Amino acid sequence: MGRIFGIRRALRIDRGAPDVDRSVDEELAFHFDMTVRDLMANGMTPEDARVEAERRFGDVQGARERIAAIDRTRIGRERRAASLDALWQDIRYAARGLWKKPAFTAAVVGTLALGIGANAAMFSVVDQLLFRPPPLMRNAAATHRVYFMQTFRDKESASASLGYARYTDIVSSTRSFARTAGFAGRKMAVGTGDAAREMQVAVVSASYFEFFDAPPALGRYFVAAEDVPTAPTPVAVLSAALWRTQYGARRDVLGQQLQIGPVVYTIIGVAAPGFVGVSAIEPPVAFIPITRHGSAQGATLNFTDGTWNTTYQWTWMRMIVERKPGVSVEAASADLSSAFRRSYQAQIDKGSKIPPAALVHPRAIAASILSERGPNPSSLSKVATWVSGVAFIVLLIACANVANLLLGRALRRRREIAVRLALGVGRGRLLSQLLTESVLLAVLGGVAGIVVAQWGGAALRAAFADGAAVSGVAGDGRTLLFVGAAALLAGLTTGLAPLAQTWRTDVTGGLRAGAREGTYQHSTLRFALLVMQGALSVVLLVGAGLFVRSLHNVRSLRLGYDVQPVVIAEMNMRGVKLDSVSTIALRHRLLEEAKAIPGVENAALRNTIPFWSTWSGALFVTGIDSVSALGEFDLNAVSTEYFATSGTRILRGRGISDLDTEHAPGAMVVSESMAKRLWPTGNALGQCVRVSADTMPCSYVVGVSENVRSNELSDNPEYYYFLSAAQFHPDVGGLSVRVRGDGAGHADEIRRRLQRLMPGASYVTVTPFADVIGHEMSSWKLGATMFVTFGALALTLAAIGLYSVIAYNVAQRTHELGVRIALGAQLRDIVRLVVREGLLVGVVGVALGGLLALLAARWVKPLLFNESPRDPAVYAIVIIVLLGAALSASLIPALRASKVDPNVALRSD
Amino acid sequence: MGTGVAANLDLLQGTLDVLVLKALSRGARHGYAVAQWIRLTTDAKLHVEEGALYTALHRMEKRGWLEADWGLSENNRRARYYQVTALGRKQLRIETARWTEYAGAVFKVLRTA
Repeated sequence: MGRIFGIRRALRIDRGAPDVDRSVDEELAFHFDMTVRDLMANGMTPEDARVEAERRFGDVQGARERIAAIDRTRIGRERRAASLDALWQDIRYAARGLWKKPAFTAAVVGTLALGIGANAAMFSVVDQLLFRPPPLMRNAAATHRVYFMQTFRDKESASASLGYARYTDIVSSTRSFARTAGFAGRKMAVGTGDAAREMQVAVVSASYFEFFDAPPALGRYFVAAEDVPTAPTPVAVLSAALWRTQYGARRDVLGQQLQIGPVVYTIIGVAAPGFVGVSAIEPPVAFIPITRHGSAQGATLNFTDGTWNTTYQWTWMRMIVERKPGVSVEAASADLSSAFRRSYQAQIDKGSKIPPAALVHPRAIAASILSERGPNPSSLSKVATWVSGVAFIVLLIACANVANLLLGRALRRRREIAVRLALGVGRGRLLSQLLTESVLLAVLGGVAGIVVAQWGGAALRAAFADGAAVSGVAGDGRTLLFVGAAALLAGLTTGLAPLAQTWRTDVTGGLRAGAREGTYQHSTLRFALLVMQGALSVVLLVGAGLFVRSLHNVRSLRLGYDVQPVVIAEMNMRGVKLDSVSTIALRHRLLEEAKAIPGVENAALRNTIPFWSTWSGALFVTGIDSVSALGEFDLNAVSTEYFATSGTRILRGRGISDLDTEHAPGAMVVSESMAKRLWPTGNALGQCVRVSADTMPCSYVVGVSENVRSNELSDNPEYYYFLSAAQFHPDVGGLSVRVRGDGAGHADEIRRRLQRLMPGASYVTVTPFADVIGHEMSSWKLGATMFVTFGALALTLAAIGLYSVIAYNVAQRTHELGVRIALGAQLRDIVRLVVREGLLVGVVGVALGGLLALLAARWVKPLLFNESPRDPAVYAIVIIVLLGAALSASLIPALRASKVDPNVALRSD
Repeated sequence: MGTGVAANLDLLQGTLDVLVLKALSRGARHGYAVAQWIRLTTDAKLHVEEGALYTALHRMEKRGWLEADWGLSENNRRARYYQVTALGRKQLRIETARWTEYAGAVFKVLRTA
């Protein structure tokens, strides 16, 4: 049986089908003719013979169709087997070829691994932030976070925070939702005594669990009847992770007691493994009822409009909803909006002094369940998106490099290919072999890339997710799928260049080229690929430069205090109730203790911390209608040595001092910007400001400090003032401690020493201030690190690519160079000849890349800090670096070329 | 499996397969020759519908028991010749053994009655 294997056959699938019918008909016609002939030979009339033949055969039409169907199945199967066979042959052929060239293979696989690995690692981060629904969520597509929008000064801002009263209002007056739940994430002390640790705890309504398809690993979740503050026993559900690590996965954990925050809970269940709620970034260790937490926490706070569950002032939780089937997102948002407006009116009716609804246009939206896709994405996800783009560019450069290497290989194999064409191997077959080779390389690169991503990705994920437990790369299906797609794409695109080359191969020319494997010829394609790499590297390096400058700018921004040597100590009373006098006494004992610790330079009481906790009370100044209309004024009540501790400079007058005792006249230190804002023409010193209410006694401005940044890192003015801790809420707040050297190094010792003074289950937490501020700067830091890393990677790849091409060209031109030297060319001439080629690539690449970077400037601007995206200094440095790289990449082969011995070169033919 | 017997279809099909394999065991034949051989060998006692015979030939080709190729017939016409493959031969051995055993058992029963 004549079988034709391979592509050609596979391409004829459609033409094959009618053949089957014709062949069946021919076979059956033969059968009938023979039958009729034999019957006639036995004496039948032609007519009788035909009838008899048909009788013997039975249902002709049915048989015909059945047979054709059988044949079609068989032929299809044979074809598939044949193409599989051909593919397997190609793979073996490609693998053999690669095995014989280990250096080439390693170079290609290594390059692709870096490109694919960088992308896989970034994909896993971006996927987590922006695309992947929360694990185990039942109906993620219909589940939303609720945001509340209000308009202030013509600017609409969104907030996801709400109080319990608002939550119950919305739940009771909406009709669009199959489920609603409230939740909050809190760092709380879990356990007692030495075993107590601050851990992430999910504070959730009983309905929260219904959003997930996550049956408990042990016991049960709590129900609505247990999610009320009056429930006789507080109950909690552990995470599977905590259950395993702290309880050894023992089943008798049910019924045990566990203190979380101030409350002792009875454990009634263990959540499903991998169940983390709506935020995979901060997996909670336990789940506690939201009303229990609300009532315990709210008991320590005072509200003017009710208790913890009826006040609108305390906004501490968030809300998720699941749309009923058939309810559109728009309808859901409209329903939420009208519920919010009603609730807003209820708040006004209660006497809350909030602006009328007509002014702030309250509305609510059902937004993405992923907070990074909601109305308030962090700058982190913006940077992450950019960095993914950067990683993709690195992959492009890697692909260009690999395409160039493959192209070089195809050029070297021109003779071999010509021979095979001459021997009658089809071009299609040859192309499929080349493509198989590049895809095989890409697959190997993908596998190596997973290793790279696993190894480098851990650092990356830690940077984006603050070290939280985010799933790795290798064990994650989505990321592996992405790697597979990336590898396949890389294989196909890198395979295109050598394919084009092979397609053009001219059999006679290739065969005639002689022993020298082809003569030197300038390849436009290779040149274009090199220029592309250069240009993309320029874009990345410009990005790196801009981010590095931004980071430098943000770091050199004067915040109005020192960061590095300061640590923050906070008291967490955890249910230990002290009256005001005892609390004040405890604060002073802690202050004295802190000052006595070796290495501590100074310490002071304070009740807020910039970028961590702020306090803005109403201010009243004679002659100014509404101070709050002028902006937001943040306060800090501090003890005597606060300015020495924080490093905040006093520009005029004095700081808060020993004079400002409880009974002395109120003292106030205002920031320079606040002084200018309130008294633009006059002198701030000595002015009277009433704090909280216009009936309060005067606080007199005794000093003006430098400006203090407390909410955002920018040049926008912020207003800040200091009061005396002895005069304003002396029982609220913790300590700031200034040490010699770096704050982080002393944090543990300070915590140990202060902890001794804490009564009962209460405890102190000590945080280096640099951690707080560092978090604010993380997006620039991340941008700078990533762009520099990837930019360096890109430059290295591009330089290697340039080097390999020039070195290859030099090797190809040995004969020609030999002739030139024989004819009297100087060493200098030869070097210039070769280097000129490399520099040409560099110059064109710089021009193109510079242009691209200028075009992209508009989009990158919002991510920068006080930095022009067209900063000429950055461009200048990048141009020098790239041309330098191009020069050195071509200098090495140039020097080698200059050592060509004309005798050897000319004889080599 | 005479004409009047309502035989089990699987059995019928299995039987037909054995007959075809046997018919081809001495060398390649076209479909008409296979039909002729079965008719002559069984003295036309087994009624085999020729449509079913051709279906069986193609099905067995699909299964890999037979190979087919076009050749020239005795009277110089293009005809499709079938040939038993190694797999088909093995199948014939298995079926023959099973049939012998089956027939022996039935025969034994009939003799004791």
